[in-house]
Amino acid sequence: MAIIEARALTKIIDTGTHRVEILRGVDFEVPAGQFVAIMGASGSGKSTLLGLLAGLDTPTSGSIVVDGTDITGLSEDKLAVVRGRKIGFVFQSYQLIPTLTAEENVLLPHELSGGNIAAGTAKARELLDSVGLSDRMDHYPVQLSGGEQQRVALARAFMVKPPILMADEPTGNLDSVNGGHVLELLIALNRREGTTLVLVTHDRSLTERADRIVTLRDGKIIADEIREPAGAARP
Amino acid sequence: MNLSLRTAARIAWRETRSSMVKFLFVVLAVAAGVGALSGVRGFSESFHGMLTAEARTVMAGDLLARQFVMPSAQQTAALDALAARGVDYTWVTETVSMAASKSNDGTPVLAALKVVDPSKYPYYGEMKLNPPMPLASALTPDTAVAGDDLLMRLNAKVGDTVRVGEKDLHIVATIAQEPDRMSASLNIGLRLMMSREAFASTGLMQIGSRAAERYLFKLEPNAPPVDEVRRSIRRALPEAMVTDFRQSHPIITEGLDQATTYLSLISLIALIVGAIGVGMAMHAHLQQKMDHIAVMKSLGATSKEIIRIYTIQTLMLGVMGGLAGVAVGRGVEEVFPLLIKKYFSLNATMGWHVTAAVQGIGIGVLTTLLFTLPPLLAIRKIRPALILRRDMPEAKLSWKRRLTDARSALAAGGAILIGIGAIAAWLAGSARVGGYFAGGLTTSLIALACVAWLLLRLVRSFLEGTRWRIPSLMRQGLANLYRQGNQAQAILVALGLGVMFTLTVYMVQDSLVAQIIETAPPDAPNVFLVGVTQAQVGALKELIAHQQGVLGAPTFVPRVASRLVSVNGEVPVGPRFRYAGNVMWEGEKPDYVRVVEGAWWNSSALQKGAAPVVSVGVETAKRLKIHPGDTIEMEASGKRFQARVVALHEWEQRRFMPTSSFVFNPPGLADLPVSFDGGVRVEPSLVAAFQRAAFEKFPTVTVVNIADALQIAQQVVDQIALVIRFLSGFAILAGAIILAASIAGTRFRRVREVVILKTLGGTKRHIVRIFSVEFLTLGVVAGLMGGILATLFSGIVLRRLLNAQFQFDPKAALSAIVLTALLANASGWLASFRILRQKPLEVLREE
Repeated sequence: MAIIEARALTKIIDTGTHRVEILRGVDFEVPAGQFVAIMGASGSGKSTLLGLLAGLDTPTSGSIVVDGTDITGLSEDKLAVVRGRKIGFVFQSYQLIPTLTAEENVLLPHELSGGNIAAGTAKARELLDSVGLSDRMDHYPVQLSGGEQQRVALARAFMVKPPILMADEPTGNLDSVNGGHVLELLIALNRREGTTLVLVTHDRSLTERADRIVTLRDGKIIADEIREPAGAARP
Repeated sequence: MNLSLRTAARIAWRETRSSMVKFLFVVLAVAAGVGALSGVRGFSESFHGMLTAEARTVMAGDLLARQFVMPSAQQTAALDALAARGVDYTWVTETVSMAASKSNDGTPVLAALKVVDPSKYPYYGEMKLNPPMPLASALTPDTAVAGDDLLMRLNAKVGDTVRVGEKDLHIVATIAQEPDRMSASLNIGLRLMMSREAFASTGLMQIGSRAAERYLFKLEPNAPPVDEVRRSIRRALPEAMVTDFRQSHPIITEGLDQATTYLSLISLIALIVGAIGVGMAMHAHLQQKMDHIAVMKSLGATSKEIIRIYTIQTLMLGVMGGLAGVAVGRGVEEVFPLLIKKYFSLNATMGWHVTAAVQGIGIGVLTTLLFTLPPLLAIRKIRPALILRRDMPEAKLSWKRRLTDARSALAAGGAILIGIGAIAAWLAGSARVGGYFAGGLTTSLIALACVAWLLLRLVRSFLEGTRWRIPSLMRQGLANLYRQGNQAQAILVALGLGVMFTLTVYMVQDSLVAQIIETAPPDAPNVFLVGVTQAQVGALKELIAHQQGVLGAPTFVPRVASRLVSVNGEVPVGPRFRYAGNVMWEGEKPDYVRVVEGAWWNSSALQKGAAPVVSVGVETAKRLKIHPGDTIEMEASGKRFQARVVALHEWEQRRFMPTSSFVFNPPGLADLPVSFDGGVRVEPSLVAAFQRAAFEKFPTVTVVNIADALQIAQQVVDQIALVIRFLSGFAILAGAIILAASIAGTRFRRVREVVILKTLGGTKRHIVRIFSVEFLTLGVVAGLMGGILATLFSGIVLRRLLNAQFQFDPKAALSAIVLTALLANASGWLASFRILRQKPLEVLREE
């Protein structure tokens, strides 16, 4: 059962002076629980595809269904609701709110969804603990290293227990050691919670743990390699 | 919406707390506006109170009823009934009679008698006597007090006896200060003041005797409102002319009305300028927060929820700024009385007006919210995809889509204008003022937006198409104006509005103060010469020209004693419709006369033998039901003559010379007995010497010294002028600060730009030149546009709202352009100079 279905997706930007075709008809399905890596060179459209799947942007044509909800024609506010409930997102540049502490950053999605603050705070602390940052809860992003910031971002992404986790070059700004740690955490959390993980990267080494690698070039899927069937037992 | 108010407030507070330094400017901008508003309004209320106290002093009461007949028993009973409701009254009789000194054989003179009840009179102000003593002690059944001028004419002194009618009165003091001198009914001639008992024993008050009865009323705390009391007095005394303290003296009334309207306007302007600053600051703040807002949207926050958070933040800032502003306003209220005391030896008592403070905070918050609406609504347009691709090309939307998107912006704009208009109307107490204000703001916004758009297009076209060799740094500076992400259009509009309002304050106050000073000009006559014959005019002018202490040439006004016989052949019935007094002539229409209806005569009416034509004062015309085209018949010294009414007029400027409700062409009053009243300004300390010199050569001419009475009016006018200047300066300063900060708020955008330029080899000198071109261009254009709009707006405000003259001041407009350019450059660099020291990698690493 596909948790993400994309049909004939296109994304064209008309600036008035020229036309940019970022995606040119992408068909794409992700079964629940799968770890998919989307690869491609810079300008291939991979981040745009991820953004469309996450409801961060709207396609020019085509359709997208996320966990049974057709998000194609939804208004911005309805998309926000879908994002808040179904999608956890990890960005390349962490995108933490600099004026909030680590704990407050993790708590934010819970607050936005109207959850109970006391319960949320406990959960946020638990998540920070699980990423090894229990002693940094009151630190502001500027007081954390890149790796630590990305771990906070990870904890935040899991706060509302979303069925889908999307990551855009999550280790792109990190050194190999920190990058490795973050990837391990991503995968560990993914396995533990059973979430579907869609990860965009240009780094082949990150794809070795993926169940499936989708390669884009010039806005089209040129390769779709299943490494291991979805749901197969893992060591 | 999932986000509760409480959670939104918590998020808003978290963000504010961590950015307090950045928000300081926003708070200060609101504080400046609210401070000006609450300070001006609070001060205006106190000042208004002071001036109305002065006005009451000039009237010596709260209300005044004046008639020329004794009250009937019924009328007295009606007044007593009013007294029982808290409206105390006293009665002043003014008449003329001969008075002679019993101590020498001097000629009797015609004295102006004033009869008062010293236990009540005056209700306000103080009677100062020389030697000092309470009025109640000075006015007994056998004693009186006299003006210096009367004693001089009688060749008498304090301690002498003066015979009036059948009574000998012992003069115990001279009058040094008389509060209601300018409210006197009859000619302010040689004064003799006595008690009612003393007057009764003179035997002068017979049936048919001509005396002016002036009733002074004082409102006790439990009394009904002024307007209701006024109506009751009118019913009790239908023949009387009733006025209240608000109309005690034209100088004070006019000055007060204009000052109050103006001060309300400038306080609103100060607030608008403050709010513009807030709007710009919030706009800059939200621009910086775009990434955060995109992140929150990607985490599931809807636009409405995010708008709620930032609206709460805006409210918090508005309240903080409002409270700070009230404190500033309080400071203004504390400082100013010290100034007044220093310059005017007056004890100005100011109270802290809670209502003004609360109003100030309320309006400050409301205006802040209104001006923050556009950037708040723009939150809806922030796309979450922004954080994936900062430099994703912007799709060009269809015009339909753009119109749909613009709907909310237009709605926000409409809400702001309606809101500002409503606040202006409320502050000024006039829907007309609110309408003009909102209209002026709308027009300015549209004009500025159009100019900004046109300028940017022109600059772009010029740079792209010109064959001239423009230095690259200048080219880059100009190109910065129209490149994507620059807020040049918004800055131009905000700056232009700020300049417009600030310059309007300056231009209006300059014209207004000049006009107000005109109402009691420093060279106004303070000595009147009454009863000058035609034969004496020349010789008197000669004496004045050689007299020590005379400050300026004298003015002489012709007076012909006459009465109105009929209007269009019908004899007026009832005392209200009678007129008997002095009429005068004028040649060409004087500058100080404004024709309200009809038209002044031309030069043919000045020719010898021309038919009599007349212009009638508009109030008298209303009372006597006279219109242009009517024919009136007058009688003067037994001779009857007719004149056609050609115009109705009002006196535009306050004249210190006698005026008349009936002004004829010179041939109209030819061959009639005429006397002249003159006025001259004399150094106050030399007035007595002038009086003696004049009396010696012209014993029949009455010389009246009103220097002390004029002093009050002069002081009031000077106070008003000072208040206006002080508070205008305050508003102008606030405006300058806020303009500076608007430019400064753009510094965040420049950080990245500076860093990239440095990376590519740009030196500090290069960078300074590039940005200076940008700042100076913005400043010059904003100054120019603001100057043009200020000139238009000032003209409208002065002519339509303040009934004052407007004179264009090119120096002020030019200075505005230069100063704005310099200010824009200075403030831009003051805020940005630290950026020059920023290491490129520090910034780039964060990307």
